[in-house]
Amino acid sequence: MASRLPAVFLTAWAVVAPAGELAGKAVAGGRPLADLVVAAQALDAAGRVKAPPAPAAMALDQKSREFVPHVLAVRSGTPVYFPNSDAIKHHVYSFSPAKRFEIKLYSGVPREPVHFDQPGIVALGCNIHDWMLGYVYVSDADYLAVSDAEGRWTLDLPDGRYRLSFWHPDAAEQAPEQTVSVPAGELAVTVELKARFPTGKPPASLQNQGYGDGF
Amino acid sequence: MRLSHSRYPVLPSSFTPQQQSWKLPRLMQSLVLLTLFGLMMQICQADDGQFPEVTWHGLLDLRYQHSDAAPSELEYGLGKLRAGGERDRWRVNEAAATLQVRLDWDWMANATVKYADRQSTPLDLTEAYLAYRPVGAAGWRLAGRLGMFFPPISLENTGTAWSSPYTLSPSTINAWVGEELRAFGGELRVDYKTQAGDKFGVFGAGLANNDTAGLTLAWRGWSLHDFESTLTGRLRLPDGIGIPALFPKQANASQTFVEVDGRPGFYAGIAAERPQRYSLRALYYDNNADPAALSAGQYGWHTRFWSLGAKAELPWEATVISQALTGRTSMGELLGDLRAVDVGFWSASWLVSRPLGDGRFSVRYERFGSDERDYLPQDSNGEHGQAWTVNYNLTFAQHHQLNVEFSRIFSARPARQERGEAAYQEDTLWQVAYRLFF
Repeated sequence: MASRLPAVFLTAWAVVAPAGELAGKAVAGGRPLADLVVAAQALDAAGRVKAPPAPAAMALDQKSREFVPHVLAVRSGTPVYFPNSDAIKHHVYSFSPAKRFEIKLYSGVPREPVHFDQPGIVALGCNIHDWMLGYVYVSDADYLAVSDAEGRWTLDLPDGRYRLSFWHPDAAEQAPEQTVSVPAGELAVTVELKARFPTGKPPASLQNQGYGDGF
Repeated sequence: MRLSHSRYPVLPSSFTPQQQSWKLPRLMQSLVLLTLFGLMMQICQADDGQFPEVTWHGLLDLRYQHSDAAPSELEYGLGKLRAGGERDRWRVNEAAATLQVRLDWDWMANATVKYADRQSTPLDLTEAYLAYRPVGAAGWRLAGRLGMFFPPISLENTGTAWSSPYTLSPSTINAWVGEELRAFGGELRVDYKTQAGDKFGVFGAGLANNDTAGLTLAWRGWSLHDFESTLTGRLRLPDGIGIPALFPKQANASQTFVEVDGRPGFYAGIAAERPQRYSLRALYYDNNADPAALSAGQYGWHTRFWSLGAKAELPWEATVISQALTGRTSMGELLGDLRAVDVGFWSASWLVSRPLGDGRFSVRYERFGSDERDYLPQDSNGEHGQAWTVNYNLTFAQHHQLNVEFSRIFSARPARQERGEAAYQEDTLWQVAYRLFF
């Protein structure tokens, strides 16, 4: 029953605000770019005809010693659960000013979510697995999306004018803001990355797993 | 009303002052192990049922070697490899297992047990320590280790059981670290981590049982191999260079981890790291051994050195690791202002590695040398040389690794002439290794 609720809710919302859609593709060095955050701020009343739903709880999983997703975009005030799908323990922490916290993860889902109240970028680490790296992008923007593995992102929003801003954890320089009028064609966003280093991934060989040099 | 004693942490009796135990290395080792065990038991009894969490990793290393080299340590020679001669060898080079027991969120016990070809005790400990690493508030973090562990010198040996993901034989510097250096004591480290993830830290350790470190550098010189000494390890001394005549009290092997004089040593250093970009480490080590001390056939070798290391990730997915080490080791009573053995040593290496096809390709060049200033010219300990190592390895399904490696070492060591060999030698080693990581 519970799993049906969001669908019902979305349908109801769609009836009130006839949905438009803004889609785009993120590219870096000629290849699709995942984990690009796209934040849309409505510039006219049309965009805010219907305020988006109140922040519902979201989840950022630990799977195979990685944060999944690597980048999570949430609106300010969103509670985020940190389940642990691994059989081993994780010790997730952040020292970012937007949210300082520390959460000790046994297997399963912790009872309490973490509330991200202030806009900003929250960098996540795991005290046990140093290479684990993740981000929570906390924003007051009206609409948020994150590009998928193919670089595609979609914002469901009413027609109107919007200011788009972009953020990627590995960007050498963040892509400039853009103003668009929806309906609009597919947007191409190109980002130059700092370097092509795989960040936040577990080592490719078991040789380098769980050892470091002990220091 | 009775108080439940088990609720209160009771320090194990081995936390009594250790001054008396410095002179009794075996006893001290036992005390450290007992302390570890005591702490483990304490923490295991904590109210949280989900600890301890036990994980283990291991390594099996099967090796084919073809060498064309001067007699080396295994043949009581002065060659630059571990085993010399012109021959082919198939063998189990090493089998190791690392046990990690997470006692709670901040404490972990870590021990590595190893079998290696012609190791003095077939199965022995290479490391055993208790590590403390809590999440620090506001970017500051305190970390520590207590037990038996490698000083943080190598930037190559980051794999399971101190293996290197780049080459089979680590550089001369790291081969020496594996052979003669181990801290028996405690290490503290304070790090500051910035928002961007950059880390800056200072660290230091008090250590014991490392008083014979420097012996092989003086008497045998630098070498290139992947044998790490173990807790009860012994290293062979070179024959034919007059050691028994000049030092009749020296035992016929060097006991690598022994406390000779009861004086603790130390190391201290700084570290900086930008994750995935670069890592820098500088360290000063001084075992503070009394060069005039002798105990059970083992002399104290006062060994002190500077170690510098840098690792950088460059464009084109290239990794560069460079290490340098320079220092001195002194042994024997003062005669005027000279000692029986007083050797300055240095080495520097440059390694470039990058993914190539499905594997990893690495090339390393290094130079090394030593000179002496002592009153025994007949015990000649100077040398200089250089070495090239080229490795290609392929990793399958995370577990299996196939390595092909070529090493060539050019060195000149006058002491070889006493053995009827030419002072200048070129040692060549081809290796094929299958390594299983689990």
